[in-house]
Amino acid sequence: MNILIPHTWLLEHLSVEIEPKKLQEYLSLSGPSVERIYERAGDNVYDIEVTTNRADAMSIRGIAREAAAILPQFGVEAKLKPLANPEVPAPSETLPLPTITENDQLNKRTLCVVLSNVNRAPTPDWMADRLTALEMNVHDAAIDITNYITHELGHPCHAFDYDKLVASGNQITITEAEAGEPFTLLDGVSYQAVGGEVVFKDGAGSIIDLPSIKGTANSSVHAGTKRIMLLAESIDAKKVRFASMKHAIRTTAAQLMEKNADPTLAIDVIRLGVQLYQKICGATVSSELYDHFPHPNVHEAVTLSSTDLIRYLGVAIPLEEAKVMLERLECVVVVSNESLIVTPPSFRPDLAIPADIVEEVARLYGYHKLPSRLMESAIPTNRPTDTNFSLEETIKEFLSTIGWQEVYTYSMVSEAEAAASGFALAEHLKLSNPLTDDKVYLRRSLIPSLSAVLTANPMRQILSVFELANVYHPTQNELPQQTLTLGIVSSAEYRVVRGVLEALLNKLHISDYTIETAAGSTEAILLLGADKVLAGSISYAAGKTAVHISVRALVAHAQSHPTYKPQASTATIREDLTFTLPKKTAVGPIMSELKQLDPRVSSVELSAVYNENHTFTIDYHDPTENLTSEQIAPLRKQLVATVEKSSGGSLVGQLT
Amino acid sequence: MTGTAYIQQIQQMLLALGADAGLSVPALQQKYLGANGAFTVLAKQIAELDPNDRKAAGRPLNELKNALAAAIAAAGSAESANDWVDLSLPGKKPAVGHIHPISQAMAEITRIFTSIGFTRVRYPEVDWDWYVFESLNMPPDHPARDEWETFFVDRAPDSKKGQMVLTTHTSNGQVREMERLGEPPIRMINIARCYRRQQDVTHTQMFHQFEGLVVDTGITIQHLKGTLDYFAEQFYGPGTKSRIRPFHFQFTEPSFEVDFSCHLCNGTGCKFCKSGWHEVGGCGMVHPNVLRAGGIDPDVYTGFAFGWGVERTYTLKEGLAIDDIRLLYSGDLQFLEQF
Repeated sequence: MNILIPHTWLLEHLSVEIEPKKLQEYLSLSGPSVERIYERAGDNVYDIEVTTNRADAMSIRGIAREAAAILPQFGVEAKLKPLANPEVPAPSETLPLPTITENDQLNKRTLCVVLSNVNRAPTPDWMADRLTALEMNVHDAAIDITNYITHELGHPCHAFDYDKLVASGNQITITEAEAGEPFTLLDGVSYQAVGGEVVFKDGAGSIIDLPSIKGTANSSVHAGTKRIMLLAESIDAKKVRFASMKHAIRTTAAQLMEKNADPTLAIDVIRLGVQLYQKICGATVSSELYDHFPHPNVHEAVTLSSTDLIRYLGVAIPLEEAKVMLERLECVVVVSNESLIVTPPSFRPDLAIPADIVEEVARLYGYHKLPSRLMESAIPTNRPTDTNFSLEETIKEFLSTIGWQEVYTYSMVSEAEAAASGFALAEHLKLSNPLTDDKVYLRRSLIPSLSAVLTANPMRQILSVFELANVYHPTQNELPQQTLTLGIVSSAEYRVVRGVLEALLNKLHISDYTIETAAGSTEAILLLGADKVLAGSISYAAGKTAVHISVRALVAHAQSHPTYKPQASTATIREDLTFTLPKKTAVGPIMSELKQLDPRVSSVELSAVYNENHTFTIDYHDPTENLTSEQIAPLRKQLVATVEKSSGGSLVGQLT
Repeated sequence: MTGTAYIQQIQQMLLALGADAGLSVPALQQKYLGANGAFTVLAKQIAELDPNDRKAAGRPLNELKNALAAAIAAAGSAESANDWVDLSLPGKKPAVGHIHPISQAMAEITRIFTSIGFTRVRYPEVDWDWYVFESLNMPPDHPARDEWETFFVDRAPDSKKGQMVLTTHTSNGQVREMERLGEPPIRMINIARCYRRQQDVTHTQMFHQFEGLVVDTGITIQHLKGTLDYFAEQFYGPGTKSRIRPFHFQFTEPSFEVDFSCHLCNGTGCKFCKSGWHEVGGCGMVHPNVLRAGGIDPDVYTGFAFGWGVERTYTLKEGLAIDDIRLLYSGDLQFLEQF
């Protein structure tokens, strides 16, 4: 959460002489990050990021306290000024306060006081200028004072119209809303309670406030308001967050209170508020000050040994030095037996364990002062066995080197893309809160996404893209199977894509594979290893060939290096045989048959196709002897006979 | 044929080769090495010799082969002396594909961290709330969760591990790595896809992070700083420095934000960096509760962790100020072919 802090306002809480740029640098190095400095109305305004655990720093006062602790570490003299708000004076008349039915579980503190004769004066220029610098709307003083003091001290307060309260019975019950109960906020927007929101109710049981979040229209200040009840409460942080998130009402008040803003601060808020209403609106105090604070928040002491500091920092910091730093943060510190016993102030609920105290000492000491060095400890050697990142890189290197493009597409897909995956839409995992319609389902196939890339690049006549990414297959009650998959979609001809796949398998030293298909089918499967593990598929549709392979299957079958075969001591005889095959003859099965004919037919490759003529390059080889023409002739005859028998094809030319 | 006759044929061919010195390279190749070329035929015939003769013929045949290679090479150099070559012609480029820039960045990040003993791992991208948030000291409804705009999967929650979510960060790998190893030393680098419910020119619903986790005895903030400095210098170039500033994360204590010095202006301040530094991401000393969630005794061990966006880290490199991060996942070839 970012907060804007005008420099001059900060100086009302901090005695220091410093250039804004220096303050930015030092604060950022040891405390909240000052992201920018704006020049507004002659003032420097710091834009500061305050982390969620530091509600205490989300105010002018909070940042002043941080600066007072940090700047002396950089040799800049700085002191936090004491709060000088006078106590709420005795009332000039005694109007009855509402009867408040407290609930100490839901609310830690209630403070309120009635102010009369509230002159609806315009917001004075000095206050309006500051609010404008903070990018806040300016209304009139009676309304703006509450925003102003919230920003100054970091605890919200709310101005009720006292007469509206009286009219509804002058009763406040702090309770949880029932589901369905209506309420309308002061900006006119109506809601129905979901049940469990902490609300104020009047005598009749109507909701008259959404405390610590936003006021309701039926109790808030309006144009005719003359009497105000100024109230600061401290609703349980979880309850505030619940209601604020449930209804998406993210006010400053809610964001402070859900982060445990300190109820101890509420008294200063009321004192400053009363003072400003008196000064600007001529208001008079018209009731006793009501203060219900049954369990003032105190935090337990945390003990930090000097060893703890060394364990985290690697250097020793004298405990007396650490004590001074922590005291500047308003901790109470006792040094005892090489340890610090640290009692955090009420506004620091984040200081609960020794590591929290280490952080405070370390940041004030200065992270930039710590040396930088690499670990000298043991290097772990237990690596995951089911992944092989270098194999993944090899795949990417190989495919890109031959001219194919790697792409990254989204894991979430549209309804149409999910339906095109080969799985029913209902068999996909679905997001319950998608951001856009085109990213709703967790994909089970990379192919629709990759096909979309081809469609989106119509200028490339031949384009081949690939991606390595997970697909997500739902399981009964467990996480989905998240299968790393190599997807390829290409508009190159089928033989080229298949050839690349085969070359890739060679590159990964996978020699034992088969690609099986039925004659005329548009889908083939890739089987790996002797036990023929299904590793993926090749499919063809509308001029595109798609490949989908489990990377884990490749990892399981890949070798880091080839198996060496000694150079052949006998010669290989190579010749071409051309056959005319009938139309729609599946060539793959013929070639498989030829390869299995005789061990001396060592290789059969399809080297050319011209119309129905198919030229096969045949290698004959026998590792034990050089084959003679007489030995090859019968083999050749067998080959020709096989082709004629299985396909009805005929040899082009004569057998010699 | 007898061995003697065969060797005679070799010698005749050697003589013929000498007489053919004026032939061009293609002519020589056709005459001697074509399918029915003189040498091709002769070489095949060696198979038909008596085994003893075959041994004797091997060496002369090899000498003939060498002579033939020399004659072809000589013819080649003679031709190039006479040929007119136009070196001003444009080149014919082979098709060159491209590894996606995010893959390139991930490979570089992997190389840098594995060279200092980190083990790269991969963990689920769809994971239980327990690993993504709760074991990281972020109970349900904690305000710190606001920073992670989380996608939920439409599935019944697990009774122990909570809702099924898309991982908003790679930090789900922290407790998973502790569980995998059982005990320190841990030096993990986890690089993965992450998802957040946001989309504009600087955010995409899907992005990538890399997460480092080191746990052992005696690990201090100094080691975190050393690791950051090492990475900065390796990834951005010599002289790049890192610095850490206070921040807050529920799963680290103390927590820091990391800046790298601008390598364009050497940290003096320029239009790319504003004040000499680039904010890269978060890190911190592993919170004792996170160590406990992973079954590691925080009184014995300490550790640090960091997790940053790959896109952010990569595009800080000189010349990579990509104005619309969504291009990375658009599949636009004009964009991708630049990398």
